[in-house]
Amino acid sequence: MTAELSFNQEIANMMYATHGNPISHCLQCGTCSGTCPAVEFMDYTPRAIIGMIRENFKDEVLASNTYWSCASCYHCTVRCPAGIDIADMMYALKRYSMWKSRFKEGLIGPDFSEGFVKMIVNSGKSFEPILATTYLPKFSAGDLVQEALTATGLVLKGKIPLLPKRIKRLKKFQRMVKRIIPLGELS
Amino acid sequence: MNVQKRLIIIDDDPDFVGGIKSILERAEYQVDTAYNPKDGFQALQARRYDLLLLDIMMGRGAEGIALARKIRKDPKLREMPVLIITSVREQIAFLFPGQAVHPNFVDVDELVEKPVEPKLLLEKVSALIKAAEEKHLQPQ
Amino acid sequence: MKQYAYYPGCSLESLAKPYQLSAKEVSLALGLDLREIEDWNCCGATAYFPVDELLAYTLVARNLAIAEKTGLTDFVAPCSACFKNAYYTNNYLKKDPDLADHINFALEEDSLHVEGTLKVRHLIEVVLEDVGLEAVKNKVAHPLAGLKVAPYYGCQLLRPRKDHEDVENPQYFEELLSAIGAEPLEYASKTRCCGASLIITNRKAALEMVHLLLKEAIERGADVIVTTCPMCNVNVEVYQSQVNREFGTNYSIPVMYFTQLMGMAMGIAPRRLGIAREPVPKAQAPVSA
Repeated sequence: MTAELSFNQEIANMMYATHGNPISHCLQCGTCSGTCPAVEFMDYTPRAIIGMIRENFKDEVLASNTYWSCASCYHCTVRCPAGIDIADMMYALKRYSMWKSRFKEGLIGPDFSEGFVKMIVNSGKSFEPILATTYLPKFSAGDLVQEALTATGLVLKGKIPLLPKRIKRLKKFQRMVKRIIPLGELS
Repeated sequence: MNVQKRLIIIDDDPDFVGGIKSILERAEYQVDTAYNPKDGFQALQARRYDLLLLDIMMGRGAEGIALARKIRKDPKLREMPVLIITSVREQIAFLFPGQAVHPNFVDVDELVEKPVEPKLLLEKVSALIKAAEEKHLQPQ
Repeated sequence: MKQYAYYPGCSLESLAKPYQLSAKEVSLALGLDLREIEDWNCCGATAYFPVDELLAYTLVARNLAIAEKTGLTDFVAPCSACFKNAYYTNNYLKKDPDLADHINFALEEDSLHVEGTLKVRHLIEVVLEDVGLEAVKNKVAHPLAGLKVAPYYGCQLLRPRKDHEDVENPQYFEELLSAIGAEPLEYASKTRCCGASLIITNRKAALEMVHLLLKEAIERGADVIVTTCPMCNVNVEVYQSQVNREFGTNYSIPVMYFTQLMGMAMGIAPRRLGIAREPVPKAQAPVSA
């Protein structure tokens, strides 16, 4: 049997095209954790996650909410003294967990991403994320959005169209998508 | 005596690579591995391979498709048989649920979906290598 | 008048309609001719990257390709997230021929081709660089004297860093506000994240982020918070009542797009700037000036 690749190496492969330095450059200084606006709501801080990846704590990393709590604000990225694009690493973890269906139960992030991409593939356009939820099932946050909009009179005033617009060349657009993602009828 | 055939697997899933590598080695193939498209392409340029086993979803996304297209444009690599082994349908199942994988705009030789039966894998591999050799021997 | 390939983005057709209206009015008054590109699609915001980055770049590239076809040289986005996506995709297409080749293969389906030759810019950059502060000052009819404004840069306008510029303490938004006679406030949260789509996916975290931002701006005495991005604007404005409930506060501060505030200073009628269409009324805000 061949030597198995470590989780650390798996993530390095997911990030082979990153524009920052590899996470092996991490100094464990904690600047990212000190900067992250969502850190209090993460199971492990960004610094800890990097350390855990390097020590191959695969199950613990994947089962944490950390990477799905990243808002992609890139504050950590611009401050990292080792030049690591940490927000990009969070995206890599999101992809890894989506492709393998291995993420913490009860998270909204994966469903939201899925629904959002589906909406765009079907119409070419989107509502902004907060509105998307109103029209996509499965989101427990739908009520919150509805409430916020109602409280501010937005829905009642008819300021919001009921469905996203569609682009004109939708069929060609979808064929374009299928050249990148080789799935679905080509019609 | 038959020269041992050399194959390369470009796939990011270590469990899957480990599995098929040992199947292929037991069938007397020499097997190299690469776990991302960049390392994979470098390996392909460094030496000649009789067959490539290629994954689709790696790194940023459906990179296997991009790599297969690049190989087909490369004068030195275009004759090499390419067998795509993928679980793209499972990996992003939600996008076009229930619909087929269709890399028919990429000129690959064969596509199978994971998980792969060892017997089927070995049949496909030897058939593709044989077909490539025969094509090569034919007078132009 | 210089022409620009204008990409409004999805938000400006729905919740951020006031941004669309005011961006057009103010641009016109400043001599910027924004030409909306035809049949553009969603830039994907942050939602594609967890699925397939190549797809994310492709969708952005389609808009860039449509803009390139116009022959114009500048691609302008008023939304910070759209801007960031377009800026980096354009950059990567230039630097990575394999990526460009693959994406162009997909674009063939819509008879499009992308080169990555455009200059991708945010609307606020165009105002600052192509119009300039002096010219803006000359257009001001009603200086917003005494109005204390918290400029909110947010994330995607500034980050990731593009070329050694100051992303920790930028000043250009403040300078623009001074040019229209307002008083910009210094506050540390001006470059912190509004929570973006976490408002859906991790509500507690996002409300806390909005809360800190509101708290600091209000404690510094802000009359109004001004933004350059629909997502920031919506998060900070629409969720004030939730923040109040969660944290026992009583915040009610107007949140405006920078183009709305500029338009007011330039004497453009409020209704043409989409004012009075927003969730938090602006009545108590700048009109007195």
